[in-house]
Amino acid sequence: MVMSVRDWATRFSEASDRDQTIGAMAKYFTCTYLWDMGTAKVIVEMIDGKVYRINVDPAPMDAYDFALRASPQTWREFARPIPAPMFHGIWSASFRRDLKIEGNTLALMQNLRNFTVQFELLRKVGVPV
Amino acid sequence: MAKQSPVVGRYVTIDVDGCEYKVFYLRNGSGVPLVCQHTAGCHNHQWMGLLEDPDITANYDVIAYDLARHGKSDPPHNREWWKEEYLLTAEHFMNFITAFCEALELDRPIFMGSSFGGNVALQLALHHPDKFRAVIPVEAAEHAPGFFLDLWRHPHANAAQVCGSGVWDLMAPQSPEQDRWQTWHYYTQGAEVFKGDLHFYSIDHDMRGQLGNIDTRRCPVIMMTGTYDYLTPPEATEATARQIPGGIYIEMEDIGHFPMSENYPLFAVYLKEALRIIESKS
Repeated sequence: MVMSVRDWATRFSEASDRDQTIGAMAKYFTCTYLWDMGTAKVIVEMIDGKVYRINVDPAPMDAYDFALRASPQTWREFARPIPAPMFHGIWSASFRRDLKIEGNTLALMQNLRNFTVQFELLRKVGVPV
Repeated sequence: MAKQSPVVGRYVTIDVDGCEYKVFYLRNGSGVPLVCQHTAGCHNHQWMGLLEDPDITANYDVIAYDLARHGKSDPPHNREWWKEEYLLTAEHFMNFITAFCEALELDRPIFMGSSFGGNVALQLALHHPDKFRAVIPVEAAEHAPGFFLDLWRHPHANAAQVCGSGVWDLMAPQSPEQDRWQTWHYYTQGAEVFKGDLHFYSIDHDMRGQLGNIDTRRCPVIMMTGTYDYLTPPEATEATARQIPGGIYIEMEDIGHFPMSENYPLFAVYLKEALRIIESKS
């Protein structure tokens, strides 16, 4: 049973906002990004290290800095407690699997440390696909 | 009583292509010299697990140096290095290593390096087979394009965090968290040289079509790569080893691109097998 995208957004927000590693370093973690999981899309808006809003039904004109796009199968692999090789991060998946990183990658790089920690929360929270 | 490490650090000054380098190295053990090169943008603390491993140091004189500009080894003291872009080449890298080994009067050491250190190990096997007892290229391949990128030292981003986090998923998720963050920490310290190192790794290192000329009777080659290495994946290393007459490939399960620092106890299992093979050939 796949969790609803709204339930996922609640779980992800809570996990991110109480994560000690993000809390220790994310004072200026401010950016907006799209995760395109195929059958589900979300725009996560981060302000000063906290999840300000998760748009679970993005419209075509809704803005974001950068996007990660991959198949539902790839997102499910990301969300395993111990992902298989090449599904264990955004760079491994973009080098070896179907993940595409698009948009303003400088914004991604400016926030890379905290974004990477946040991305790996999927291993605890799961994905809505 | 304080807990003292048996590892000792020293400096040696060497001349490489007209550059005067004061090189810092860590050393422990006795027996066959085993010279260790860290990965690009890093330093010799990556090898601390090995340097403090009594099973290895009982029979091997383990020496891990900081390449010039890395860790405690300065840029050249006799040049205005800040007026030229740092771009490491295969020739200078090899000249550095052979000069360092000669300065320490090492008798045909085993050379081991990971990532760009693995790639230069292949270069040494081809160009200096009689100076080394064997080489252990870790996470290496004949060619490793795609990582010489401006993003590593872009002035609009925090280069330390970009370097540390950009290589984060070169490690396996099941490696111990303490060790993965320690490796991340090492990577935050080498941000200014990382891109220049990668000039060698992704641009100047290109051994396609040359691997058949490596003579493993003079210098055995034991290659090892972890299954979580996306940059030099296992199939790339295996394909490289297959083209080297007598080349040996060992696949390391459940480990990534920084095996010696991200999970030393697991890496040691594979390293001991590599050393056993080298002993059998000596």
